[in-house]
Amino acid sequence: MSASAPTAPPDRWRRLPEWLRPRDTERRGRGDLRRVESTLLVLAFLLLAAATVYDVVRQVHVNERLSVDLHTWRAITGNDLKNISIEQDLAHYTTRDVLCGNLGAGPPGTQPQVCLIITGPTARGMRAAKGGFYLPPYFQDKRTNRYACWGTAVGENLCGLSTPPGAPDEPLTNG
Amino acid sequence: MEAARGAERAAPGRATLALAGACALVLVVATLEVVLSGAVGHSPLIPGSPGLTGWLQAIDRFVGFYERLGFRMYLIALLCFAAAYGGLLALVLRGRLAADRRAAKWAIVLVAALNALMVAGPILFSTDVFSYIDYARLGVLHGLDPYLHGPVAANGDGIYKYVGDDWRKVPTAYGPLYTLLSYPLGLLGLKGAVWGAKAMALAASAGTLALTWRCARSRGYDPPTALLVVGANPLYVLYGLGGAHNDLIMTFFMMAAVALAFVDRDGPAAASVVAGALVKATVAAMLPFMLLARRRMSIVWGALAALVAVAVVSYPVFGLHGLDVISALNRDAALVSTDSFPNEIAHMLGKPGVFPADHTLLKAALAIVVLHLMWRTWRGYDWVAASGWALLAIAVTSTWLLAWYTLWTLPLAVVARDRRLLIATLAVQGLFVIHQTAPLFSPVT
Repeated sequence: MSASAPTAPPDRWRRLPEWLRPRDTERRGRGDLRRVESTLLVLAFLLLAAATVYDVVRQVHVNERLSVDLHTWRAITGNDLKNISIEQDLAHYTTRDVLCGNLGAGPPGTQPQVCLIITGPTARGMRAAKGGFYLPPYFQDKRTNRYACWGTAVGENLCGLSTPPGAPDEPLTNG
Repeated sequence: MEAARGAERAAPGRATLALAGACALVLVVATLEVVLSGAVGHSPLIPGSPGLTGWLQAIDRFVGFYERLGFRMYLIALLCFAAAYGGLLALVLRGRLAADRRAAKWAIVLVAALNALMVAGPILFSTDVFSYIDYARLGVLHGLDPYLHGPVAANGDGIYKYVGDDWRKVPTAYGPLYTLLSYPLGLLGLKGAVWGAKAMALAASAGTLALTWRCARSRGYDPPTALLVVGANPLYVLYGLGGAHNDLIMTFFMMAAVALAFVDRDGPAAASVVAGALVKATVAAMLPFMLLARRRMSIVWGALAALVAVAVVSYPVFGLHGLDVISALNRDAALVSTDSFPNEIAHMLGKPGVFPADHTLLKAALAIVVLHLMWRTWRGYDWVAASGWALLAIAVTSTWLLAWYTLWTLPLAVVARDRRLLIATLAVQGLFVIHQTAPLFSPVT
């Protein structure tokens, strides 16, 4: 409590039974309660620590998968690009990732982009690109802006734009 | 800190002083490294900002330092900072430095240096400060109520492009007192506003630390130890000050309330809690514990007076929307951050994330903890410790946990009568730091 304890009128709480009355300082002999609290705190800490470590390990595996995805995108497109956007399936937490990157030189999104839908397990440092689509320069990744879908992207009806004249539209896949 | 009370201890040996000096040096070097490499720019950890660090880039060029702040470099700096902080705590909490007459002076110099270095650098990790400024500019320059409009309402404003994507359509969740305090920032131009927000964060930090010092002395604890535990804390320095978060203004009002209560000024103390809650609502959790422990009507009158005073000033500006902090709290409570403990537990249980039913369970768990603490406080438990536990429970059960939320408890923990609170707070912070380390083990390349 504070340096000077409050001085409540002595009979304000007298009608209450002793165990219900307020106290300015804790009664001695609360060791059992403290022990129970401490045990619960230790258990809570162990739960949080286990969840934290589990999540770090999970995130490490996700990072490894994303590195494989980037390698896959670069290998299939033949473009050793650094700025590749990755969209994970955070709604369903599957391992389906969509990676988009420029086909030519320039800042991200200023050139036609190719997007690959990458799924499945890692085999020989790569994952399978089962489908994909293209995006015109300066357009966001929305259905209305996507064109030239192939593979699983056709079945998922991801494209809403017809191929602009002269735009790249070659299907790129490794499986 | 009880161990640090006595001034009758033997003077620390040379090895102890050398170890303390080495820890302090690591803290300063790690901070410098984050600030200088952050100033290089092009970092995923540094949000875009209106050209604040040109003068630091000149220093970078002068010393030939061109490395940008990547995840690996940052995490190494964070872990070094945390290890040095741990080493320093091990010394001060055991009272190893208490008998050294220079300890107080060096503690102040070290904490002042860390605060000043961090405020001089770029905005780190968060775009929140740009939201603060955008809301101020909405009100001051565009005549829009930030409680009704998100930043997108003035998307031609120069600050708009720096606001985080998730917050562009969202009206402010901060209390009317903070919104009014931040309005002058709207008049300062983009760079001036960011420096103004940094200056506010620095002043609030200095105030929080000074009040922590004073409260520690009131309770017979060693003030330099309390100062170091809070002011050299890695999350306090790198995230709280690095992001110029308004949580520091909230903690200032919180510690002012504790300091006032310690000298029996209960009315002003309650008013200070309400002022803090009108910056960021969370600190209102202190009020029931203060009332249960001290049982004085002046607390009720003080709280009401502060509420009425702010309402009178803010009503003409914001109408009733400014006082509706509950709906803003409910909106934010539904968000989920990757660092929140409920989200981590959900992953461990094989679930993709937190579901609405989990929110109900978490609220129930929080209610049980708060009711237990209220009962304990009624029966004589330290109300400062109870307030700290409540704030820690809010942070741990929240699905929207950010680094600076773990700072709410820290100043209370160093002046509370229950040492377990400090241990628990530091343990939660330690887990938060560990959760950041995944890119160190597996960088995405």
